[in-house]
Amino acid sequence: MEGRPADDAELFVRAQRGSIDAYEEIVQRYQQLAFRTAYVITRSAAEAEESTQEAFVKAYRALGRFRAGAEPRPWILRIVANEARNRVRSAGRRQQLELRLAEGFRPGDAAPSPEAAAIASEERQRLLLLINQLDEDDRLVISSRYFLELSSEETAAALGIPEGTVKSRLSRALARLRARVEEAATSA
Amino acid sequence: MPELSELEQQLRALAAGIEWPATPALGGAVRRRITSTTPRSYARPWYERRWAMAAAAALLIAALLVAYTPTRNAIADFLNLHTSINRTNVLPTPSPLPPGPLGQRLGLGNRVTLATARAGVKWAIVLPSGLGQPDEVYLQSPLSGPPQGEVTLVYGSRPGMPVSGETGVSLLITEVRGNVSETFFGKIIGPGTTIEEVIVGGHRGWWISGHPHAFFFTGTDGEIRDETLRLATNTLIIDDGGTIVRIEGDLTKQQALDLATSLS
Repeated sequence: MEGRPADDAELFVRAQRGSIDAYEEIVQRYQQLAFRTAYVITRSAAEAEESTQEAFVKAYRALGRFRAGAEPRPWILRIVANEARNRVRSAGRRQQLELRLAEGFRPGDAAPSPEAAAIASEERQRLLLLINQLDEDDRLVISSRYFLELSSEETAAALGIPEGTVKSRLSRALARLRARVEEAATSA
Repeated sequence: MPELSELEQQLRALAAGIEWPATPALGGAVRRRITSTTPRSYARPWYERRWAMAAAAALLIAALLVAYTPTRNAIADFLNLHTSINRTNVLPTPSPLPPGPLGQRLGLGNRVTLATARAGVKWAIVLPSGLGQPDEVYLQSPLSGPPQGEVTLVYGSRPGMPVSGETGVSLLITEVRGNVSETFFGKIIGPGTTIEEVIVGGHRGWWISGHPHAFFFTGTDGEIRDETLRLATNTLIIDDGGTIVRIEGDLTKQQALDLATSLS
C-alpha cells in the first residue's frame, strides 16, 4: 500500500524475536485501520476499541504463526475482524451505525458557489444515508472498499470471505445502491 | 442517475469526509496486557483446551497412572530433557491433522533456510550425516516456543526410512536449548508404547517406541500449545551437549541411535 513505511517486515521480525517495543510500534502503526474496521463491524466506538485491543493482544500471541515476508495488513485485519464479529455475536444485539460526513467537508479543490456547494453537500449526505440503510453485507463491502480503502485481499480478510467473492459481492452491492439512488431521485 | 463508475467516484470522494470516531491510542494498553504475568488467553489450563477436551477423561485417569513419579513436572526434571511424560491406560484418539503445509500442520514455526535458522539461534545446529541437506527447515520463534527458539529439520523421504503415517515425512529432527527446569515437549504414552534409557556418545537419552504416542510442544508459559498436539511415531530424545535433539520417524532403534551418533 502506498504511504506504508518500508520497514514493516523488520518490525515483525524484531517482534517475533521478542521485542515488545517493535510490537508496540506495529500497534501504533495499524491501530487506526484496525479500529475503523472494527467500528464498521461493531457499529460502536466502545466495542471497536475493546475488540481492537483484544485483537492486538491475540495477534501478539499468534506472531509465531505470521509468515516472514507476508503482508501484515490482511493478517491483522483478519484477526481484528474476527474479534469484532465475535463481539457482535456475543452481544446479541445490533447497534445502528451511522457514518457521517465531517462538518464542512468539501471534496476537491474547486470553490463552488454557495448554492452549488449546498446541493453537492446534500447529495453526499443523501448517498451516505442510503449506504447506512443497506443490508449488512452490502454496507460492509462498500465501506471496506471505499471508506476504509482496503484492497480485495484485505476486504476478504476483513469480511471473512474468499477473495474471489469480494468482487461479486461488491458488484451486487453497488447495483443495489445504484437502484436506491435512482429510486430516491425519482421520488424526490 | 449515476452509472457504476460515477457512483464509485462519488464513493471514493466521500471517503475523505467520513467522520470517524477518534482512534484510541492502544499501544500502551496492549503493551501492558502482553507483558502481564497472567495473560487472559493463556489462563486456561492445558487440559481444558480444544483437543484435550476430547481426551479429558483419559487424561484425568492418566494422572493417577503415571508410571514414574506423581507429577509430570517431576518427570520432566527426572528426564532432564525438557520433556514431560504422562502414562495412561487408554491413549486418546486425536483429531486428524488439519490440512495445510507441514510446518503449519505440526506447529513447527516459520519455514526458513538453514542459514537463517543458524543465524536465528545461539547454538550450533547439528545435522545427521549421510542424509544430505534437510528438505525443509523451520524456526519456531521464542514468542510461541522456547525462549531461545527451536529448529526443526525435515527430511521428506530417505532410502530405508519409510514415510511416517503420522507426519508424512521420513524424519523430523527438532533441536532446542534451555534451562534444565524448562519443559518444551510433552508426551502422553499408552500401554503399547515402551520407553527405555539409552546412552549416545556419552549423553543420556530416551528411546520411545511401539504404538504411536501423543506428542505436543509447550509454549513459553509451560502450557500445551494445543495446535501442536498429535500422534508421534518412534522417537529418540537425547541431550547432545546441552542441545536437546528429538529424532522422530518410523525408525528402528539402531537407525535412530546411528543418526544420533552421526550428528555434527
